[in-house]
Amino acid sequence: MFPLQLLYFYVWIMSLGLAESVVAAAFSRVGQRVLHVDRRSYYAANWASFTFNGLLTWIQQHHVKEAQDWSSLLEEGEELIYLSNSKSESDSISNVQVFSVFHPTTQASQTEGEEPEADQPTTSAAQSQSEPIKKKISYPQLLKEGRRFNIDLVSKLMYSRGSLVDLLIKSNVSRYAEFKNVTRILTYRHGKVQQVPCSRADVFASRQLSVVEKRKLMRFLTSCMEETEEQQAYNGRPYLEFLCDQQLGDNLQDFLLHSIAMVTEDTPTEEGLTSTRHFLRCLGRYGNTPFLFPVYGLGEIPQCFCRMCAVFGGIYCLRHSVNCLVMDKETNRCKAVIDSRGQRISCSHFVVEEDKCVSVCLSVCLSCCLFRSLSRAVLITDGSILPSDSDQQVSMVTVPPIAAGCPAVKMVELCSSTMTCMPGTYLVHLTCQSVGSAYEDLSPVVTRMFHTPESHDQENCPSVLWCLYFNMADGSGLEAEGHNLPSNVYMCSGPDGGLGHEHAIKQAESIFQKILPEEDFCPPAPNPEDIIYDGDNTSSSSS
Amino acid sequence: MHGRVKLKSTAQQEEEKKKEREKKLKIYVATRDACFSKRKESICDDEALQLTQQLLSSNPDFATLWNYRREILMHLETVKDEDEIQKVYISELSFLESCLKVNPKSYGSWHHRGWVSARLPRPDWARELSLCDRCLSLDDRNFHCWDYRRMVVKMSGVPVDQELAFTDRLIGSNFSNYSSWHYRSTLLPLLHPESPEPPSPCREPPHSSLPPSPQTHSHRVCEEQLLKEYELVQNAFFTDPNDQSAWFYYRWLLGRAEREEMISCVYVSREEERVAVAFSRPVNAQSVGLLLVLDGQPQRVEWTSVHPRFKHSPVWICALPPGTISDITNEHNLTVHWTEKHTHRDCALYTGRSESWCRDSATDQELFRSELSVEKTSVLQSELQSCNQLQELEPLNKWCLLTIILLMRALDPLGYEKETLAHFQTLKEVDSMRCAYYSDLCSKFMIENTILKMEYAEVRVFSISDKNLTTLCHLDQLLLVTHINLSSNQLQRLPPQFAMLQCLEVLEADNNSIESLEGVYHLPKLEEVLLKNNKISTLADLQPLASCPRLKRLDLRGNPVTQTANIESELAELLPSVTDLLL
Repeated sequence: MFPLQLLYFYVWIMSLGLAESVVAAAFSRVGQRVLHVDRRSYYAANWASFTFNGLLTWIQQHHVKEAQDWSSLLEEGEELIYLSNSKSESDSISNVQVFSVFHPTTQASQTEGEEPEADQPTTSAAQSQSEPIKKKISYPQLLKEGRRFNIDLVSKLMYSRGSLVDLLIKSNVSRYAEFKNVTRILTYRHGKVQQVPCSRADVFASRQLSVVEKRKLMRFLTSCMEETEEQQAYNGRPYLEFLCDQQLGDNLQDFLLHSIAMVTEDTPTEEGLTSTRHFLRCLGRYGNTPFLFPVYGLGEIPQCFCRMCAVFGGIYCLRHSVNCLVMDKETNRCKAVIDSRGQRISCSHFVVEEDKCVSVCLSVCLSCCLFRSLSRAVLITDGSILPSDSDQQVSMVTVPPIAAGCPAVKMVELCSSTMTCMPGTYLVHLTCQSVGSAYEDLSPVVTRMFHTPESHDQENCPSVLWCLYFNMADGSGLEAEGHNLPSNVYMCSGPDGGLGHEHAIKQAESIFQKILPEEDFCPPAPNPEDIIYDGDNTSSSSS
Repeated sequence: MHGRVKLKSTAQQEEEKKKEREKKLKIYVATRDACFSKRKESICDDEALQLTQQLLSSNPDFATLWNYRREILMHLETVKDEDEIQKVYISELSFLESCLKVNPKSYGSWHHRGWVSARLPRPDWARELSLCDRCLSLDDRNFHCWDYRRMVVKMSGVPVDQELAFTDRLIGSNFSNYSSWHYRSTLLPLLHPESPEPPSPCREPPHSSLPPSPQTHSHRVCEEQLLKEYELVQNAFFTDPNDQSAWFYYRWLLGRAEREEMISCVYVSREEERVAVAFSRPVNAQSVGLLLVLDGQPQRVEWTSVHPRFKHSPVWICALPPGTISDITNEHNLTVHWTEKHTHRDCALYTGRSESWCRDSATDQELFRSELSVEKTSVLQSELQSCNQLQELEPLNKWCLLTIILLMRALDPLGYEKETLAHFQTLKEVDSMRCAYYSDLCSKFMIENTILKMEYAEVRVFSISDKNLTTLCHLDQLLLVTHINLSSNQLQRLPPQFAMLQCLEVLEADNNSIESLEGVYHLPKLEEVLLKNNKISTLADLQPLASCPRLKRLDLRGNPVTQTANIESELAELLPSVTDLLL
């Protein structure tokens, strides 16, 4: 490996998550030297997408390394802060549970040549299952077609007028990816999956709304775009109360609250209206819903920014652990990092990943967010939860709390044309704020909406072929300001529970602006023909 | 700064672009000249195809070059065999596709595509249809593509139900595109024609004995389908009541059959020895083969319209040869034949009668149930209910208000008169740009109502004072009226059509803003004209009155013309018959 300690870097970035990758692209784009590393072997950190087999490997990853003593590398007046990366994986990800409907014996006999260890710890639930369900798609098939899957660790959508889309367009990074429209918004009401009419065409075509409801809905959607005194009178009072007083009826009220504003019953009116407006502003820019989804999964997005960074000279190292930061005791500034190979790498600025261990070591108080986490479930199913003319629907599903005290669940169902699952299957992501473990939070929803070994009378629902539950730390608790960090160390949080990407993009921009307040954040990348290469200068001007 | 990517300055880029443009232009001009000279020499070779292709791909609107290309292709047809021609045309189609990508609204490209498709030995219409679908999904208002699509559908005989499903799809994705609705309206009568027998006897037209003329029924749709369409279109206008496409389609659905063409009235006056004939629509009596038979004898008469301004008019008059009917002790039978339409009307003039007429009583259904409704009352009633529901939610929506007015008129014009007037008032306020249009429309409806009331009362007096009339219409229906009262309205003129009131004796039009009396023209029985407080300002404006031989009483008080010097003597000269003049 090239000796990194011989090089100077302006900024050293510790993980390949979304905010970090945007920061990397932004610095590289304005000509600063970037060293972007990750101890993991894959891009996008906790924002990554995996093939099916890759995900199985990810599930298995539990290796611990002992911390070593690097004090011999210190210069005078310096101390070490251990970034104990060894445990961080288990810290941000927990409660991993896997279920599969495939019968263990058929599995064992059919998986010859495959990696048999992948599913061993995972099939406990299936084993207790009395009658194995005959499925067209077998487990070996899943493994064989595993590379057709791109399973995201986080589940988000891109708001058509959200900050991520704006940034992708502004910076020309969008050229590195392709996107698909989310084709419909669904919700789960009264035990049934229903389509939420949100665009003009949807409202027109909806069969569940009466014509009067259609008019009321359209009128509400048009009128709420403007701020009125009537709305201001509800400031501080719940949005639900405001909606009630609009005399919309239960149907529309539920749609507006849960699926369009996507807020809870006690969200204040002003907040509810803001998110309703955001939803509506995003509508119709690219299609009939406000959302886009990147083909090949969300893990593509951080990689696109990394690519931009690399195009402008950023250096990337995967599987590169960093053990400590080197601190100057007097100035409380960080001077260098020491990697697992014992190289001391000097940098001017340091961007670290939010992490319990890092936080503790840097004596950063993150008490408010430390224990907040997201519950996630990933299902591979054999059919859409709402079959329609086309089997290639990309659906956003809002599931209001199924009982008091339960969290509201956001669900995204992806079809095979998004290149995230093999043909004949659907990939379903469920996300909510954790109340209990991911399994406790999400399995009741899964059992109700899908046919699983535990569910009864769900013959008409799509069957779950395989599913994964896990908890992930919620990055939304971290505030950029007010930490007791060294003045040239900046912290990026992991994925947050929001549906959009506003949090990560905002964070990246604020880090960039703190370091280089005069510079433009991710200006458009030039066209290749406009770049002057060395030696090209004279020839182009003389010709 | 060190490490930064160096970029060309904007000036450098501009310079490069400019050079590139100049280079392109040079090539373009050279190629164009080469094409023109080749065409002059009528060379139809592959090189010419190449050159035109080169030019057209950068400028597909160069019509001359498309023509040249067609000449070349037609020449090739004579020298190559079918398979080769097929190949040439297939490549032509793919070239056209690239042109359409550059400019999807190029007249030249679409026209050429139509030409090629029609000449292709083995056309692949399915491919063409899917091309149209792709283009329309990018821009559903691309009328070039609509035109081409119609041609493809016609040539390949796409089943009507498939096309209807196509409009379903288009309307589903954007119901504001009237092209889709209109297309639907042409397909429905083909797919779901109205059953030949009217389903219910209660709305049968009065002339049930006559076979329905083809025009009456060919554009109608069967009731079952209509109910589905009402539902569809309601979804559209409830979703967006400001979108006019849906409302227009709705009106088409509710639309009534065309009126039957016929002679609606024959009037004969013994004293003046004239006959007046009214038709159900304006005609040119001199060219439609009108034949007058008096007591079995065809008469040579000359038909004149009521006013020299009209070449087409619903009312025509003729003078009978002097002495033919003047003897009051004689009875006469008169028949007017409209030979062109194989229809006629008889009229008997009995002994001792000075005049006579024959006509159908102007029943409301036949004449004025607005533009709507051959529908059953129950259907209209439920449509009115939904519109009222929408109006409650959107009290200021003009399309809704206007449709409600039309529905009310179709149902019961007199019963809903008060509501209609109130809705017109709202319409004028919410859509003030079209205020005058609404006033005129309201005048029309008020006149219709007054005619209905007159018919029910079986009188020849037409009185419509103080109703804010801004215009006069349906004057052909007033052929028999002897006394008209138009006082206290906002009329500015008595238009030439007014001359259709052939029996008029008294005209009351006080308190209007009348400036012109053009239509008070050759009214043989007119005796009294009351025009107090109007805006007649010159003697010339009174000129038409001179054509009315029996005018005796004239009230001009409160008109500017009374200020003219020597007004009395001037009037005496102009209107010698007037004995009672009020100034």
